[in-house]
Amino acid sequence: MEALLEFARGPLFRLSLAIMILGLIRILALDLYGAWEAYRKAGDKTLPWKLIIVRTLHWFFPVKRVLHSRPVYSIISILFHVGLLLVPIFLFAHIQLWKSAIGFGWWAIPKGLADIFTITTIICGILLFIGRVSSTASNFISRKQDYWWPLLLLLPFITGFLCMNSSLAASTYQFLILIHILAAELIFILLPFTKIAHCILMPLSQFIANLAWKFPANTDDDICTTLNKKGAPV
Amino acid sequence: MRTSKITEEERQKAFTSMRKPEVNKKQNLEVLYHIEDFDINDRPRCFLEAFAAILKHSNYRMALDHFIRLSAKCSRCATTCQVYQATGDLKDIPCYRSELLLSVYRRHFTLGGMLRGKIAGTGHLTDEKIQEMAQSFYNCTACRRCVNECPSGIDHGLITHLGRYILSEIGITPRALVVSTREQLEGTSGNTSAVPVPALLDTLEFLSEDMLEEKGVNIKFPIDIENSDYVFFPAVSDFLMEAETLMGIAAVFTATGDKWTTGTGYFDGINYGLFYSDRILERVVKKIDAETKRLNGKNVLIGECGHASRSAKMFLPAYCGGDKAFPVINIMEYTYKVWKEGRLKLDPNIVTEKVAYHDPCNIARTKWIVNQPREILKAFCKNYVEMTPSGEDNICCGGGGGTVSLDEIRSYRTTVGGKLKADQIRKSGCKILVAPCANCKKQLKELVEDQKIDCQVVGLHDLIYKAIIFDESLKVKLDAIENASQEEK
Repeated sequence: MEALLEFARGPLFRLSLAIMILGLIRILALDLYGAWEAYRKAGDKTLPWKLIIVRTLHWFFPVKRVLHSRPVYSIISILFHVGLLLVPIFLFAHIQLWKSAIGFGWWAIPKGLADIFTITTIICGILLFIGRVSSTASNFISRKQDYWWPLLLLLPFITGFLCMNSSLAASTYQFLILIHILAAELIFILLPFTKIAHCILMPLSQFIANLAWKFPANTDDDICTTLNKKGAPV
Repeated sequence: MRTSKITEEERQKAFTSMRKPEVNKKQNLEVLYHIEDFDINDRPRCFLEAFAAILKHSNYRMALDHFIRLSAKCSRCATTCQVYQATGDLKDIPCYRSELLLSVYRRHFTLGGMLRGKIAGTGHLTDEKIQEMAQSFYNCTACRRCVNECPSGIDHGLITHLGRYILSEIGITPRALVVSTREQLEGTSGNTSAVPVPALLDTLEFLSEDMLEEKGVNIKFPIDIENSDYVFFPAVSDFLMEAETLMGIAAVFTATGDKWTTGTGYFDGINYGLFYSDRILERVVKKIDAETKRLNGKNVLIGECGHASRSAKMFLPAYCGGDKAFPVINIMEYTYKVWKEGRLKLDPNIVTEKVAYHDPCNIARTKWIVNQPREILKAFCKNYVEMTPSGEDNICCGGGGGTVSLDEIRSYRTTVGGKLKADQIRKSGCKILVAPCANCKKQLKELVEDQKIDCQVVGLHDLIYKAIIFDESLKVKLDAIENASQEEK
């Protein structure tokens, strides 16, 4: 068990982190390359920057939009995301791990606050899952990953909270912490290849959507040639 | 290109709904409307060929790649889609509609999707799926309200636009749109309503005579005047159906004395390309550019029409020279400017009824024109009321995305598409609804008629025409008018 834990904490952690970082860099690079190509081909290169920035910030800090539609769901979702981002990055115990993996650490949030965020995230995660299962509309458009992602994300939170806040037998603790680490690593590995990629792509969405309306000039001719429709009636 | 008529069997298949009979009944969709004759054989292959060609020569791939990677399926769009709200049919959820096309893209145009599909032998495009897309993309009014509500920033409007474009390349487009566009691009009249130039000139002269009688001012529609500041392109249907809007616009120009003109070479702002084909969009935009060049005009002025304004504003620079293209302004921007400058005076005692303003989606969704008309209206309509939601979050009239031109689905538009709008109008209690868009006006007039709402639908300039105050120097002496009319007799 000790050796397994060491392996999970050490090489496997670094490997999964590397996969995540490289995976995210890959999709970010592909996105930006696509955007550059589109910008280069666009007949009109002026973009509504003010609108893009305002709307991007709106969704980063979704205070204004939150009550517009599905307010309960939206508030739960925001609370879920806050804990989801803050706890893994700013928990003291994690910073020690980051230090050993990448050589440097940073400021940690107090344990009490971390506990509150953890509990909020667990509760909100469960509510989101229930919401998805029970809402006919959500259910109808959901894929498999939409169901297992909230559960997978909750696994390290639940195991981590148990390990930090209860007096467990050493073997139970080790087992739970192993699950905790392995679940987190699985999340790292899957993250760039599933919908959680939105963690890095979302800030670009408004830009991409507005750029997509910037059509290249003279495509009529090109498409007619490709589809052999030259001279065909409209 | 298909030359022979489709067979009875093919027609049967084309008209077969993918929805459950009870859904069709609820939606009053007795007639389906993707009705251009098309070759039924091998449609999936044709669809994919068209999709590939469009991806090759456009910027859609970037957006599709982005959208398939980050879609979180949160279903917030479901709560804002007025079609889904009205039908309750899950297939009307914007995210579901977009997924129809995104799944085709993922399966046939991404490496991962192709491999997965080949291994599992599933997910390939079928004729049934094309059928479903055709119906779904034209159930949408392309109002893009869901776009503002999507946390992931997925532009469902763009995906619907692309879906319709690909469908059009395999012959699936509402007949009414194609017939109008054919006349506009290949017909003798060169415009969507088939208005010949002599008829246009007669109409304008008649309107001028009317205005002289009513206002005592010589209000003209300048024709083919070179070097004008503004070359005017209204929705051509205004010449037939919305004369008062045109009279209001002419009155504003008479009051300000600015140089504007309508060209006889081309005078139609309508661009159905925005609704179903980028190729058509480009061709129509180039006609506007050519006419403005012919007249050596300085600005393209679009009349009261949402889609005409957006298609010219967004795509004239795209297709006609980028930053060197003619600036495009909507007539409400012009009127607002001259009103702010104090060059337009309006009598605040003429319009006393309760007035509300309807935002056309194409000019309000990006906050382009939201406050300008409101400021003008509030200044001269004593009893102005606001409908909520409005502005960038407005509710569509229910006839957006070209569906208003399809008379065969009027009952769908006025019961399903426009249901939320009808509720909103009723709630506001307005007696005059200002809708500065040819499409919105037609839809809303049918909506208030079918839903039996006591409300008059007009354009902004219809009211301006009523309230405009002319400088005394512009007034033609009454004797002169009488003499002129006696001479005519």
